[in-house]
Amino acid sequence: MSHEAVIVGGNRIPFAKAGGRYAEASNHDMLTAALDGLIARFGLSGQRVGEVAGGAVLKHARDFNLTREAVLSSALSPDTPACDLQQACGTSLEATVYIANKIRLGQIDSGIAAGVDSASDAPIAVSDPLRRILLKASAARSTKDRVAALARIRPSHLAPAAPSVREPRTGLSMGEHQALTTKSWGISREDQDALAAASHGNLAAAWDEGFFDDLVTPYQGVTKDALLRPDTSIEKLAALKAAFGGPDGTMTAGNSTALSDGAATVFLADAQWAKRHHLSALARVVDAEVAAVDHPSGADLLLAPVAAAGRLMARQGLSLDDFDLVEIHEAFASTVLATLAAWESEDYCRGVGLDGPIGTLDRKRLNVTGSSLAVGHPFAATGARIVPTLAKLLHRKGAGSRGLISVCAAGGLGVVAVLEAV
Amino acid sequence: MKRDTEVLSRPPRLAPAFARSLIPRSRGGSPRIPTRSAVIENLTQDRERLAAYDRLTGFTLRDDVPPTWLHVLTFPLHIHLLSDPESSIRLLGAVHVSNRMTLHRPVGADERLTLDVHLDALRPHARGALVDLIGQVRVDGEPVWDGVSTYLAQGVSVEGEPHAVERQLHEPSTPHSLWRLPVGLGRDYRSVSGDPNPIHTSRIAARVFGFPRPIIHGMWTHARALAAIEPRLPPTYTVDVAFTKPILLPATVGLTSTPTATGHAAAVTDRTGTKPHLLMSVVGEPPNK
Amino acid sequence: MAALERVFYSPAGQSLAKRAGVPQAQQLRRGRTWPSGPIVLAPLGSPTLVRDALIALGREFHHPVIDTPGETPPGYGARIGAIVVDATDVSTLDALEGLRAVLRPALRSVEASGRVIIVARPADGDWEAHAVARSLDGINRTVGKELRKGATANLVYVDKSASSADVQSTLDFLLQGRSAFVDGQSWYVGTSGTGPQPTDPPLEGRVIVVTGAARGIGASISRILSRDGATIVAVDIPAAGESLAAVANEVGGTALHLDVTAADAGERIAAHVAQRGLRLYGIVHNAGITRDKMLVNTDADRWSSVLQVNLAAQLRINEVLLKKGTAGGLQDGGRIVGIASTSGLAGNKGQTNYAASKAGVAGLVAAMAPDLAERGITVNAVAPGFIETDMTARIPFVQREVFRRTNSLAQGGSPDDVAETIGYLLDPASAGVSGQVIRVCGQNLVGA
Repeated sequence: MSHEAVIVGGNRIPFAKAGGRYAEASNHDMLTAALDGLIARFGLSGQRVGEVAGGAVLKHARDFNLTREAVLSSALSPDTPACDLQQACGTSLEATVYIANKIRLGQIDSGIAAGVDSASDAPIAVSDPLRRILLKASAARSTKDRVAALARIRPSHLAPAAPSVREPRTGLSMGEHQALTTKSWGISREDQDALAAASHGNLAAAWDEGFFDDLVTPYQGVTKDALLRPDTSIEKLAALKAAFGGPDGTMTAGNSTALSDGAATVFLADAQWAKRHHLSALARVVDAEVAAVDHPSGADLLLAPVAAAGRLMARQGLSLDDFDLVEIHEAFASTVLATLAAWESEDYCRGVGLDGPIGTLDRKRLNVTGSSLAVGHPFAATGARIVPTLAKLLHRKGAGSRGLISVCAAGGLGVVAVLEAV
Repeated sequence: MKRDTEVLSRPPRLAPAFARSLIPRSRGGSPRIPTRSAVIENLTQDRERLAAYDRLTGFTLRDDVPPTWLHVLTFPLHIHLLSDPESSIRLLGAVHVSNRMTLHRPVGADERLTLDVHLDALRPHARGALVDLIGQVRVDGEPVWDGVSTYLAQGVSVEGEPHAVERQLHEPSTPHSLWRLPVGLGRDYRSVSGDPNPIHTSRIAARVFGFPRPIIHGMWTHARALAAIEPRLPPTYTVDVAFTKPILLPATVGLTSTPTATGHAAAVTDRTGTKPHLLMSVVGEPPNK
Repeated sequence: MAALERVFYSPAGQSLAKRAGVPQAQQLRRGRTWPSGPIVLAPLGSPTLVRDALIALGREFHHPVIDTPGETPPGYGARIGAIVVDATDVSTLDALEGLRAVLRPALRSVEASGRVIIVARPADGDWEAHAVARSLDGINRTVGKELRKGATANLVYVDKSASSADVQSTLDFLLQGRSAFVDGQSWYVGTSGTGPQPTDPPLEGRVIVVTGAARGIGASISRILSRDGATIVAVDIPAAGESLAAVANEVGGTALHLDVTAADAGERIAAHVAQRGLRLYGIVHNAGITRDKMLVNTDADRWSSVLQVNLAAQLRINEVLLKKGTAGGLQDGGRIVGIASTSGLAGNKGQTNYAASKAGVAGLVAAMAPDLAERGITVNAVAPGFIETDMTARIPFVQREVFRRTNSLAQGGSPDDVAETIGYLLDPASAGVSGQVIRVCGQNLVGA
């Protein structure tokens, strides 16, 4: 018996700037709020869902079972199992794939994929030497040993270690990595600013249209994505100073995503099960692929989705023209532009093992309701933001419409997925 | 030439040896180096220290040890020989200019090692004399690691024409990794390597040797760079390193690395990628049969 | 003010207030509870309507004690829970004496939160009969004011064509604690026609949209209707966010974020219902706002925003939901309930816009009811008086205390009282109740 995994809908809380309105909210709080909104939208209160898979990139040690704990705080039946899953910025797209695969295998009838991140409530750890001394002291068998261990603490050990968004292996931040890519692909400041302005414009129009009314549940008095600047323009963006790539860099705070807080969820179900439960499906999950690049050896960190997209399209026998809509996560404007350039590059595509270039995208099909530059990018939540958004857009275009999602992630990872409207 | 062998029961304590090695020697006569080998047999490796070494240099803690770790184990014998009254090469003013080591087979952290070090090839250089500290690590008589550290002894004159030293060229390129080296890194490395040279930890000592700030140990930089490319390396290889310019602490330096036809090339540079501090080349070797 | 309120409600303050003659609030009997004392049935003449209804409800009833002129006023000897007077045969002034004769002993004996219920016929026949029908209203209102300790009086005009089944849900509601804050009121019960079959619980499996469901009375409506078996579609503005989700999840319903004034609000409600494979049974137009100002200070914006939310939105949404063939539209035999207000019925200083909208709701239900009768759809409204909510908690204490006490029950109502009345109107068994505005005000002095 074959099973089809369909997206029934989604829910997220509006995304906010780090240190903003969600500054006091933890990952647990935000994930629970996003789940409760989803449960309310689809009448799942008290019900047992097959599985909830979710995660966060910046995680406290106490959140080792973050998703399960959020399920227990939510209105779902406490009998609902959950697992934590993490793939950097690809987390909740990967969680979507995980749930979809379980549905397709007939292991579960329904499931929720989720992601959350708080850059405001990021874990601060004690320094590594202090941690080791404390561990030794706690393992000591006698008071004397314990005192001796603790006596090794030095003032310099007491400086806290803040989490870093640097790549562990390269010591470069995402922005510094992307600056290398921006330079080597020759992405212009003008193109980046134009893409950022379009993102804000598209998102603002979608909010005005009420597009997000059944995708978002306001939280903590935030009713709209707080990073959105409907009045921004290419001119205003052009006035900003470079943030990455040195003084003559082209990447600014305006064409790079800001650190943000938020949570997002996707409700997936077996197509037949959804029908029996009178839940209308928006789109089915066709296929997905994950790729990685060797960025420690100098590969473009955030271009891994190119290989993933190429392999996925080859497997499915699809070309770029077969996609009505394309969602490319806007880690930076230049990430999107470099991705598009890489799609067109014979050399690059062959270099990552593809048969030839992926092709040229008609920009009218790209990120039509805005993306991370305007919405914000709570790392693990972005995939679960994009999936229901694209599913709804495709559904409106009509059955059979196809969409591609491309999400780059730290560690030189790239996750892509294909959805098709039902 | 059959060498005399001095077998040490345990690694010599470094601080006294180091202090002795600093004492200037009379300049009379032609330069001499000890001709005997210094050997330690059946050395047990300290796993806790190895873990600390791996953490500090970026290696993954495995059951097999990094080749640079084996160098660290032989280092006390270097000091021991250089502190010998027979030696006219002093550590004071000696600069580590290059290093070559070959891993003949993966070496386990549980294996008991025989370390064997001697000095050789004292030869003229434009700014003094070059000398090689030659080390070997054996397990049950089987050579598993060979290392050659070449030092420049400034102000020492050796008869003959200076050998032309091959200069590796560096092609500037933007680093794809940046390392932020804190000011206390020298102190941290001293605690795992045992190298007590204050030039790495004391601003005053550094000034004495003409550096405005402490410099990080060349062998830390070596190990850190090797650790960065370690996952790409074959199981057995020879790694050549040239220390082209000391790194003053604190510092932000860059790494570039590229695969080559026979292995891997890497450079530790300033953050712009133009001035190299260390140039490394790795060539795969057939493993011991 | 908060300090004053604390003092007033402290034991010392309350005892002082009692001696000063401030009426003390009785804890009202609420919910699906029956009177604790016996129910007395007093048929005037030989009508059977109420008797049959009580039998159908499974209620035992007792004979009334009759006050005979010239004799010592007799009593019941114990508290009675309720007296139900079947006055459906009363059409003459002389016959009103029968009413006096059963009420006089009963009023002495009725328990706390007891009930006086008069069932009569709507004005019909000769001039005297019309006068008598109206006299009953005067009697009812006065009895309501004379009753103490949370007991209430209400009058039901039952159409000649109506059967005992048609009056059951009304008697059920009035006798039970659900009608706690409905006092001194009268309304009409007609025939059910082709109404839906009654079920137990009454709203089992029925889908009901509640607008403004995120807090206060709306949340209460959702809970009460859910208790009675309804599947709730909780609607509120997007900004209500989390609290709407919380209400929907609590009642096991679904949430729909929607501004009711949006042009496509009706379509989106219908789509939400249809998408989930549901059939819409009822809608409660609870969403409402106030923008109070004296009329001399009321600008066009203040004026229209209140009218838009409180009245225009209902008109537009109803139109969509009532359009035949709309997927997710209101089914035949369905229910529409609006929220009027005593302010709308009586007028209230500083609330011209609000009164316009709320009086408009009363007018709207009166107009819609006959038009939708043939589809079995009923349209009614409730008109809350002073209800204890987050909104009224913001009224200054002294003013609030005055509002609370200017009704026959000497207290504010609870949101549940409004919700219970709405539940009664939504009951499939209430098919004969349409076009009515029922005040839930404890017989407030303000208003008609």
